[in-house]
Amino acid sequence: MTQTTLLLAPLITLLLGTAVGFVFAHPTLNARLPITRQVWLLALFPLIAFIILLLPVSALNDGQIFLWRVEWLPPFGLQLGLYYDSWSALFALIITFIGVLIVIYAGQYFNGQQDAWRFQVYTLLFMTSMLGLVMAGDVLTLFIFWEGTSITSYLLIAYKYKDPEARAGAFRSLFITGGGGIALLAGLLFVSYVSGSTQWTDILSSGDRLRSSEFYTVMLALVAFGAFAKSAQFPAHIWLPGAMSAPTPASAYLHSATMVKAGIYLMARLNPALGFTSQWFFLLTVVGMATMLCGAYLGLKQKDLKGLLAYSTIAQLGILMLLIGQEDEESYKALVIGIVAHALYKSALFMVAGIIDHETGTRDITRLGGLRRAMPVSFAIALLAGLSMAGLPPMFGFLAKETLLAATLHPNLQPVLAAVSVFTGALMLAQAGLFVIDTFLGQPRDPTVHAHEAPQPMLLSPAIPAALSLIIVLLPGPKEESAFLAAAAAAAFGSKVKVSLALFHGLNAPLLLSIIAITLGSVIWYFRWPLRAWQDRLGAAFTFNRLYAGVLVAMDKGGYVATRLQQGKLRTYLVIMILAAVSLVFFFMGWPTYSLAGLTWPGLDFPGEMALLRFFSLLVVTGSALATLVLNRDFYAILAMSAMGLGTAVWFVLEPAPDVALVQIVVDILSLVILVLTLAKLPRAQRLKAQRMRWAERPSRPLLLRDAIASIAIGCVVALITLTALTSRPRLSQVTPYYIANAKEETGAADIVGAIIVDFRAMDTLIEITVFSLAGLGVFTLLNYAARTHGDHAQGEKKVRRTFSTLGIGGRRASPFLRAPAYALLPVALVLGIVQMMFGHDQPGDGFTAGVVIGLAVALWYVVFGYTETRARLPWLRASVLIAVGVLLAIVNGIIVTLFTDHFLGNMDYGELVGLPLPGGFHISSSFLFEIAICLAVLGSATHMLNALGHPGEEEEGTA
Amino acid sequence: MELLTALTIGTLFAIGVFQLLRRNVIRSAIGLVILANAVNLFLLTTGAYLGEDPAYATYTGVGQRIADPLPQALILTAIVISMGGTAFVLAMLYIISARYQTANMDEVDNLKN
Repeated sequence: MTQTTLLLAPLITLLLGTAVGFVFAHPTLNARLPITRQVWLLALFPLIAFIILLLPVSALNDGQIFLWRVEWLPPFGLQLGLYYDSWSALFALIITFIGVLIVIYAGQYFNGQQDAWRFQVYTLLFMTSMLGLVMAGDVLTLFIFWEGTSITSYLLIAYKYKDPEARAGAFRSLFITGGGGIALLAGLLFVSYVSGSTQWTDILSSGDRLRSSEFYTVMLALVAFGAFAKSAQFPAHIWLPGAMSAPTPASAYLHSATMVKAGIYLMARLNPALGFTSQWFFLLTVVGMATMLCGAYLGLKQKDLKGLLAYSTIAQLGILMLLIGQEDEESYKALVIGIVAHALYKSALFMVAGIIDHETGTRDITRLGGLRRAMPVSFAIALLAGLSMAGLPPMFGFLAKETLLAATLHPNLQPVLAAVSVFTGALMLAQAGLFVIDTFLGQPRDPTVHAHEAPQPMLLSPAIPAALSLIIVLLPGPKEESAFLAAAAAAAFGSKVKVSLALFHGLNAPLLLSIIAITLGSVIWYFRWPLRAWQDRLGAAFTFNRLYAGVLVAMDKGGYVATRLQQGKLRTYLVIMILAAVSLVFFFMGWPTYSLAGLTWPGLDFPGEMALLRFFSLLVVTGSALATLVLNRDFYAILAMSAMGLGTAVWFVLEPAPDVALVQIVVDILSLVILVLTLAKLPRAQRLKAQRMRWAERPSRPLLLRDAIASIAIGCVVALITLTALTSRPRLSQVTPYYIANAKEETGAADIVGAIIVDFRAMDTLIEITVFSLAGLGVFTLLNYAARTHGDHAQGEKKVRRTFSTLGIGGRRASPFLRAPAYALLPVALVLGIVQMMFGHDQPGDGFTAGVVIGLAVALWYVVFGYTETRARLPWLRASVLIAVGVLLAIVNGIIVTLFTDHFLGNMDYGELVGLPLPGGFHISSSFLFEIAICLAVLGSATHMLNALGHPGEEEEGTA
Repeated sequence: MELLTALTIGTLFAIGVFQLLRRNVIRSAIGLVILANAVNLFLLTTGAYLGEDPAYATYTGVGQRIADPLPQALILTAIVISMGGTAFVLAMLYIISARYQTANMDEVDNLKN
């Protein structure tokens, strides 16, 4: 098995599983195969992934690292990659192993629920992200998967989305972990900037450079913030109890074994690169200790079984974070043992909590008790896992606590560390007692709670990790396991770590501390009720929910202030934006110091013979633009606007830019048609009302002044910029000489503008026709669906009387003299368009012009014949089909030409290739096909616009 | 000539913005088109100015001063796109005015909610 297969296979398997999970969304299939059975199929996928990940373990134990890499953005040196060493393997195996159990367990938990497939899909997606996170080979891949876990966990926590509490918990978790993710990204970018690479392989070996960098503190703070938020470290821990509103299978998976360990994974992964400094030590130790104490203290007062488990998880995460901060081998030994022990017992306990909830209907400790009689198997499981959590022999948890205490007794460390560890251990023992003894032993506290044992498959899942907690230490010769754990610890520590899984090391200091912890814990458990009552009296001072609430309230207040500033009138916003833009220009550029002395007033220094014409075009443009202001009727204003567009075209001709001018003329006319159609569509009464109030009404006078000031200000700024640009820019852009020199040779086009459009910058053009097509589709959608669903066409039903508006403008039948030329013009336009495309290479004209010219002929039909008749006479003009064919042709053509030239949207003359005898200047080349594609897409989009706006809408409102 | 050109473009811009700020939706649309034209003119004059011959490979003999083709190509694209944008905005303006039963922008005031 090659490295690539080995690394990709697990991820692909899980994605396949997700796809299979989606299949069960189908109602019939879901009914045929109930969720309790589906899970056996779905569980196969994580199981296969687990087995694949297990295969290379012996190679990993020898220190081998599996790598896979693929180029992502080669110019930036960015790759996506996977990296699999013992440290990754430790997590990857836990993720897939617990994943199998959770999938099976969830089947029972959601028994009878129709939409439980959602949960399985989310779980498998989460599993994929989590696995990708721990197997990521570089910081970018890591970040992508990191965010993936945040999003999928949000979906899982908000699974019961109708419950506001679930939504709030999910939001809180996303808010905190997502915020941490942003900090993490910044931190990782610093790390890769300093180390010069995004790959783990390079980052891990450039520890010295990273530690001596001036950015070290910043990057450590940012990365640690991200990891702390994810791993629920103090004071970001508050999201974890809120996340308990997730379904229990999700809590058992995310909040015990996997997601909350992501921060642990990352910090330990970075230990060889960022660790071994005093900042690292103090940051992790202090935060870890605070988290331990906070979790252990708050866990004791919980009434909810899951809340108790959540806080003890926080405490355990604090322990792990503290261990990463230490600099000795013993700590890393304790770290790996702690991770495995916690994953095993905590997932089992969560699942038991879910069983209790499922079978009794409550998770309230004060209402439960004496469950052992009704639920003996659950009791046995809880007992095993609880012993492990309490750190009692002969469980794995005992070993975890022993090694932890041994690590904290390191001579370099302050005794406070050991004291805190002992105290936390004692509190965790008391919590385990609460979970096991107070729930299963004694007498039932609430007679209304009825319990019965869970179905066997539901018990299977927690039983396996609970049993493993015992078996790992009891079975003789766990050489492979200890070797694996040692390799994992070594990968995180950076040098060799010895791990033995023997339970007893003789009578030594850790054992003594352990006994103290157990005794203290028993005492705390014994006085649990008075202690809890005392805690309750102390209040919620230490939950830090108020901090979070304060942040949210502050944001709300800010939003309120911002809302007050907004009065909801578009025109006001526009004026504010314009004035802000103007002042920004002046703020950064300063007042213009431009000297007008060098220019001859009035500047009529005509170069060349066409200069007078140029002056004339300026006059036309300015005059017709002014006319739009002065003219009272909207229709005339639109005509003046169109005249201005034509004046612009003259300017373009004189530039000289013949291609641009041609497009400008046809586009200007099409815009005119569309505007007039819209004008006709607006109800006459509204139109007249809006038209009348233009100048006269008094209240608008100050506003008029305001608008005038804003417009004149922006006009001055633009004029200044233009003047500066005109007098100081180079004559040609830097790339232009290349285009001029190579146009004919590389693209076969003498028209350089055309060559740039269909060849040099063909990708731009492809995107452009897509945008234009989307505009057409957007118009179509807006007018056909959006309007109708909102009831704007409420009276549309009684508008059956469409005959009125089927005719052209004014509702009058056009004279035959008008109809005959309109008939004749469409074929002429078609021919014109085709000729333009055929010879546009060496002459002005291209696909755009062709498309718009044909579109104009169609527009003429709409005007002369009216909507209904045009649609009836032009059945072949199917706008959406034209768009689809055009855009597809462009893309397919671009791909096919890749076969010949190795360039997407390159140029290939097929006619010459086959040897066709073609008239001079005409080439059947890929560019020609691209022109056709452009023409089709533009024509389709224009047709959509004409259809939608030419559709008889509100016509009978007015009497026209 | 530079000064005149600059003044013209500035004036067009001012008129376009002023029209855009009118309450009558049709005037707003007119303003948008004028603005689009002004921007295209701005790009072309500042980009491809001072050419004496159009940008054709056949003109590139010694001593010829052809107009810069690159801004022209970009403007060509911009013209088409701005027309698509205008059509889309018109459709939106129509929807809004149908929704609020008015062609007066100031009566369209609960976009906030």
